[in-house]
Order: sequence, then structure tokens, then C-alpha cells
Amino acid sequence: MHTKIYALALAVALLGAACSSSTTPSTLEGAAADIYGGDCAAATGDEVTIYSGRKESLIGPVLEAFGCETGIDVAVRWAGSTDLALLLSEEGENTPADIFLSRSPGPVGFLEAQGLLQQVDADVLDLVGDEYQSGAGNWVGFSGRKRVMVYNTEAVAAGELPDSVFDLTDERWRGKVAIPASNGSFLDWFTVFRDQAGTDVAVQWLEDMVANDARYYADNRSIVEAAARGEIEVGLVNHYYNYQYLADLGDDHKALNYDFPGEDIGSALIITAATVTAASENVESANALLEYLLSEPVQQYLTESTFEYPLAAGVEPASVLPALGGLEVGTVDFDALGGDFEETTLLVEATGIQNQ
Amino acid sequence: MSSRSQTTERGAITVLRVVCGLLAIAFSFPAAYLVWRNFTSDADPLGLLADRRTLEPLWRTLRLAVTVSLSAAILGTAAAWLTTRTDLTGRSIYRVLLPIPLVFPTFIGAAAFIRTMNPGGLVFRLFESVGIELGIELRGFFGSWLVLTLFTYPYVYLPVAARLRRLPAALEESARVLGDTMSQAFRRIVLPQIATSIAAGTLLVFLYTISDFGAVQLMRYDTLTRAIETNYLARPPVAFALSLVLLVLAAIVVVGENAVTRRLPADSGSRSTRTTEHGLGRFSFVGQLIVGLTVLFGVVAPVAALIDWARGSGRPLTVDNATIVEASLNTLSVSVVTAVVAVLAVAPIAFLVARRNDRFGRYAHAAVIATFALPGILIALALRFWTLRAGAIGNAFADTHAVLIFAYVVRFASLAMGVTLVAVRSVPDRLHDAASMLGADRTRRLRTIDLPLMGPGLLAAAGLVLLSTMKELPISLLIAPLGFQTLTTRIFGSFQEAFVAEAGIMALVLVAMSSVLTWFLVLRRADHL
Repeated sequence: MHTKIYALALAVALLGAACSSSTTPSTLEGAAADIYGGDCAAATGDEVTIYSGRKESLIGPVLEAFGCETGIDVAVRWAGSTDLALLLSEEGENTPADIFLSRSPGPVGFLEAQGLLQQVDADVLDLVGDEYQSGAGNWVGFSGRKRVMVYNTEAVAAGELPDSVFDLTDERWRGKVAIPASNGSFLDWFTVFRDQAGTDVAVQWLEDMVANDARYYADNRSIVEAAARGEIEVGLVNHYYNYQYLADLGDDHKALNYDFPGEDIGSALIITAATVTAASENVESANALLEYLLSEPVQQYLTESTFEYPLAAGVEPASVLPALGGLEVGTVDFDALGGDFEETTLLVEATGIQNQ
Repeated sequence: MSSRSQTTERGAITVLRVVCGLLAIAFSFPAAYLVWRNFTSDADPLGLLADRRTLEPLWRTLRLAVTVSLSAAILGTAAAWLTTRTDLTGRSIYRVLLPIPLVFPTFIGAAAFIRTMNPGGLVFRLFESVGIELGIELRGFFGSWLVLTLFTYPYVYLPVAARLRRLPAALEESARVLGDTMSQAFRRIVLPQIATSIAAGTLLVFLYTISDFGAVQLMRYDTLTRAIETNYLARPPVAFALSLVLLVLAAIVVVGENAVTRRLPADSGSRSTRTTEHGLGRFSFVGQLIVGLTVLFGVVAPVAALIDWARGSGRPLTVDNATIVEASLNTLSVSVVTAVVAVLAVAPIAFLVARRNDRFGRYAHAAVIATFALPGILIALALRFWTLRAGAIGNAFADTHAVLIFAYVVRFASLAMGVTLVAVRSVPDRLHDAASMLGADRTRRLRTIDLPLMGPGLLAAAGLVLLSTMKELPISLLIAPLGFQTLTTRIFGSFQEAFVAEAGIMALVLVAMSSVLTWFLVLRRADHL
């Protein structure tokens, strides 16, 4: 008897949820309103489908603002970049996706090699420097994440911080350094490393790190947590996780970022990439969205609210971020990231870092 | 029996065989996809087996799976017996709490566990404040073993508890009267009757462990799934070949379990509404220790970290109540439907296997169970692969809730299988014979005999599927209709980008929801039936 009442209540609730979600707001609320504060345009009937490896908590407001401002209907599948690249590869020319947003260049290169991407409009490519787009014009970078070293503020004194990522092979750091060796952004960074310093140097460094008992962790986030707890002293991560933790946990979170000075490879910039699928039939809307990602309000939002580096010309990084320009990012061949991904994976695996 | 009823009986068996055949095909699509991929790419599964880089992770996978299976079997059985057959204080609360670890998505459950237990964590600081320095760091084999045991023992606990609730007290009481101790009675009377339930649950633990990626990755224990994950983009043929190795391993274990189980004593059909309660007496302390520590480590420790994350810092949250409610309702509705469909799907197979020991039934049974060893992402990719090649039918179903639920059922129906088998076996043939002699037709027998007798088992089966579906991630991400978000996908979206406050809040909602569901759907009903 009771069960029936619960079932009925559930049905009513579901119905209510279904009805309430069908109304569209005429203006935006929350974070999306920071990007676009005006009235929403009438629906144009155009639509664009996005597979996003960037998470909703960061990019959701941007896509919401785009839909409101342009009247283009936006549908999104949120998942990990690797998983989405596999799905796109499986779907091939039948994919419903027009756009793929990747959190690093590796998955994009995987799709580029299979011929599953198409040329991005020249107008869109022109919004960023040559160093932030694919040589073939198949994808464009829209924000950057810096590699940094996160360190526990109680275990490591400011004066001890090393000048270079190469110094981490020193005895001082034996067993104290965490490396996310299977993580996509680490692998992409390692490709940049190979590209800049040569494969021999990069591999030698990682082997020395293994010999120095560097410790393998699954991802950036768990390294930031481990560093804050004091489980490890330092770790090589993307810059922005620590900002998020500090914002959430305040003084309880005992870790800070450290930016290797000068042109150290340890502080290289890894870009997030946007592409249009070869199968897309909504090419115009897709390029409109890519252009929107590189527009001033969105680039401003990405750096102020999600602590990322803007790539479009004329937008400055948020003041809390360490200044760019240490490493000459212009000389980094991001195309190598996609193409060399397989080689990098094999090289990293062969050092045995994943058994540390 | 008249020859006419024998003819209809045979007709019914044929229909069942056809149904089982179709089910076996439906459940085999991920395996078929894997085989296809291995043939069409230059994959070399046999060559990989000779490679040290495959053999070492494979060995670690096996070692972990065997130890986790053993410990989860012991822990699950002990917890089930203590909470159903003894006077353990607080057992009704424990019954609600004990299934909860099943609902933690491993990517956040293991992370939460680490946050509480590891150096600098909550427990660590607690001990530090009273001057004790804890030197343990959970990682590698030990960490993986502990976390996986704590997160998988419910696969044994739930079916065994369901079975124990139906076991008659009389034999056990006679044994005690005749001088057996509590443990002798357990070994000689109870254990043989729950052996098949334990074996079925343990098989699930084994298969789950070899397919797990989240926990071993966070514990930094390098198993086969890590090798698969690393190779997806870098060398897809290697990833597919390694997945096939995983599947073959699963098939071998399933066939092995089948052979062992068939030698176990058949479950008697006896049942009773009256069960016995052993007085634990001076052993009640030990009982409290076992169950209490399980709840402390498996439930309280991760939940403490979730609360710690969820406190936030007053930063404006990126999710609002409406979003959480919508995600919760989505989770609830697809999970309930999946649980019901899964039980309906395994029922005919269970019937053929349990009642007829039919070969078709056994094939279908093996297909359903072995699929549990495949990582969810492979099921998602396989389903997308086949719907894209199914022409108009595929287009009609692509991106619908039906496909999502189908994928969930393929992923988790194996969980319902063992318990349903035991439930079907628990209905004595003689009751059916008597009923049909008295003129009760098939429907009436189903309603008045089968369903009431199988009730607790079927509910436990549905409960296992329900709790697992609620936490499912890869299929929910890749197969759900665009814009359809579950709690787990939202937790993932927040947690991966270190929005830990949102992730903590939504994970707590998931835990609360699953406890309420366990209470209403599994325990309350089961105890009243």
C-alpha cells in the first residue's frame, strides 16, 4: 500500500520535473550572466552538438551564454576527453557531434590522424597566434593550463624550491616528488619536453626521476590532495587545480603552486583544443561557437573564473595567475603533441614510472 | 500427468530456450565487438600474452582478484550471518548500512577513503591530536585489496543475507539441542545451504575486481585495466587485445565456478517463516567488532571525507537545488527501471538452469555473467558500434533511454543472476505438483507459490542491480541521451575539475538516496513477506 503511494509521488515528481524544464529563460542567471547579460535571442532553428571533454562546471556557462546570445540550440555530451575521442572514432562519419572540446591536444591528434576533423574557418584561426593552432588548420586552442609544481607549505621552505624541473633528480627530493605519469596532460607535457629538449634528454630525466624514487599518482587532482595532506612534498601538475582547492578549503589546504622561473620546461603551457568534426552538417554554427570561445567576454570569463590562460590576442591573464612568457610558447610545436602521442606513451611506460 | 500437459510443458520449455537464446545474443554484443575489433585491427592477443609487459599486470590482476574474492566472501558471509541469525545489538541499523559501500562510484569512493585514512587525512589528524603518529599509507596491493574488499563485500552480503532469512530454524536448533556448538551448527547445517549463494557472490567480486580501474588507479597498483586504459588512444589494437584477454579470463573463471557449484549440495526447497536467533553471548564483542569495523571503514570513513569536501568555504556553488533534484530523479528512474528489467531478463535463464539444468540456459548464464568483467566503457563503445550498424532500427533507438537501460542491463544483469537462481531453486517442486494436481494453472501457481517464495531473493537481486546502476559512470556518460545527467555524471563533472564541494554534496545525496531505497525496497519488504 505504502509502496504505491511512493510510486505515485515519484511519478508526480518526475512529471513536474519534465514540465518545468521545458521553459527557457529570457535572460541568463548565475555564471552565464557574467558572460552575456542581455536578453536571449529568439531560437533560430539552428543547432550544434558538442562532445565536451572540458567539464560542465567550467564550460557549461559559456555554452549557455552562446545559446542565449545567438538563439542556436546547443546540445552537449560531457565526458572525459579520452573516452569521447574513442566514441568519436567509433562513430566516424555517423557521429551526431559537430564540435569536440578536448582538455589537451593528445585526443585531438588521435582524431586528426584518422581524418575525422575538418578545417576550422580561417577567421577563427586568425584569432589566436600560429603557435596555438594545428598546422593543418584542423583545430584551435582556446585556453591554456600551465604546468607547475605544487608543494606542501609545511614540508618545503620557500628557499628550498628548485630552479628547474631538472633539479628534482637531486637527493633532496628522493621519494618526495609525485608524477601523474598516465595522465593526458602529463603525457602532452612530456611530448613538449621531447620536442624542446630532445627525446634522449626527456627520457633520461624521467629515468633519473624513477631512480630518485619519484612516485606515480593517477591524476593531477589526487597529487594536489596528497601534497596538501603532506603525503608527498611536491608534485608536477596543471596549475589550476590548486586554485580550486584553495577556493573550496581555504587555509585547511596546505599546498601552493610554484612556477619554475625563466624558461624552464617544467612551466610549459598546455592548451585546451576545439575542433569541428568531418561529419558535421552544422559547420556555420560550429565555427560560430569556436569564434565565441575566443571572444573577449568568454576569454575573460575563462581566466577570471576558471583560472586558465586566455589565448585570444588582447586578453590578459587574471592577476592571480603567474605571468606567461617564461617559456617561449611560440616555439612549441603543438602539432607534435597529437602525432607523437603513441611514442610518448611507450617511452613513459618503458621507464617503469607507473610501478613506483 | 496427462500427455497433454506434458506437451504444453515441452512447448513452454522450447519457448524458454528461444528466449534464452535471444538473451544470450543480446548479452554477447560487447564480446562480439571485441572479437571483431581484434580481427579487423592488427591486434595480437596471443603475442601480447608472451610479453612481460602484459604478464606482470595480468599476474597482479589475478593476485588481487583472488585475495579480494576470499576476503569479501568471508566478510560478506560473516556480516550476513551476524545481522540475520544472531541477537547482535543494532542489527537492524547495520542491515541498512552494510549495503551502502556498493553505491560509491569508485572514482570518488576510493578518493574519499584515501582522504580519510592516509597521511594527513582526517583519521590521521585525529590520532595526531592525541599524540599518536600513524605511519600507514594505503597504496599498492594492500590499499587496493582493502578498498576493493570494502566496496565489494555487499555482492556476497546481500544474496547470503537474503538466503539466510529464508532458511528454516528447525535443523539448526536440533543440531544445537543435540550438542553442536554455534560454529559446528553453522558449518554442518547453515554453510552447505548458503554455499551456492556465497559462490555466486564471490564470482561477482572476482569479476568486478578484474574489471576495476578507479580503485587500483588511485591506489597506484598497476593491473591489466591500467594497461588497457593507457593504450586506448596510443595503441588501440593493444587495448582491444588486452580487453579480450580479460574477457577470456572471465569466461574461464565463470565456467570453473559453474563446475564447482554443480558439485555443491543442491539447495533444499525447505523454508520457514520462523528463523532462529543465536545468542552471541560472550562473542557479541567479536560480532560488534567485525560488523562495526566494516561499517566504520566501508561507510563512515568515506562519508566523513565527503562531508569534509561538502562543507565548502562559502564559495558560490556551481550547481543549484533544481539541478541536483533533476539529476537525482534521473538516477532514480533509470536505476529502478534497469533493476526491474534486469530481474525479468535473468528470470527465464535462471528457470532453465535451476529447474531443468538445460544446456541453453547454461550458455546464456555464462554469457550474462562473464560480461560483468568488461569495463563499462567497452560496453558503451560496443553498443554505439552496433547501433550505428543496425540501420533504421539503430537510428530509431540511438540516443534514447531504451538504449541506455539496455546497456545498463547488459552491464549489471549478472548481479541479479546468482540470487535469482537461488530464489528459483528455493521453490520446491512438490509444491508445484501439488498445486497443479489441485487444478491451479500456471499464472495462479506463479502468483501464489513462486513469487511469494522467491520474493526476498528477487528483491535482493533487484537491489544489487539498482545500487550498482545508481553509481554507473562510463555508460551514463557516453550512451545517455544528450542532456540527460545522472547524479554520478554530475559528481564526475565536478570532481574531476576539483569542484570538491559540489562533488561532496551530490555524493552525499547519492548515499542518502541509496540507503532510503535499500530500506524501502529490499529490507522492509523482505522482512514482511
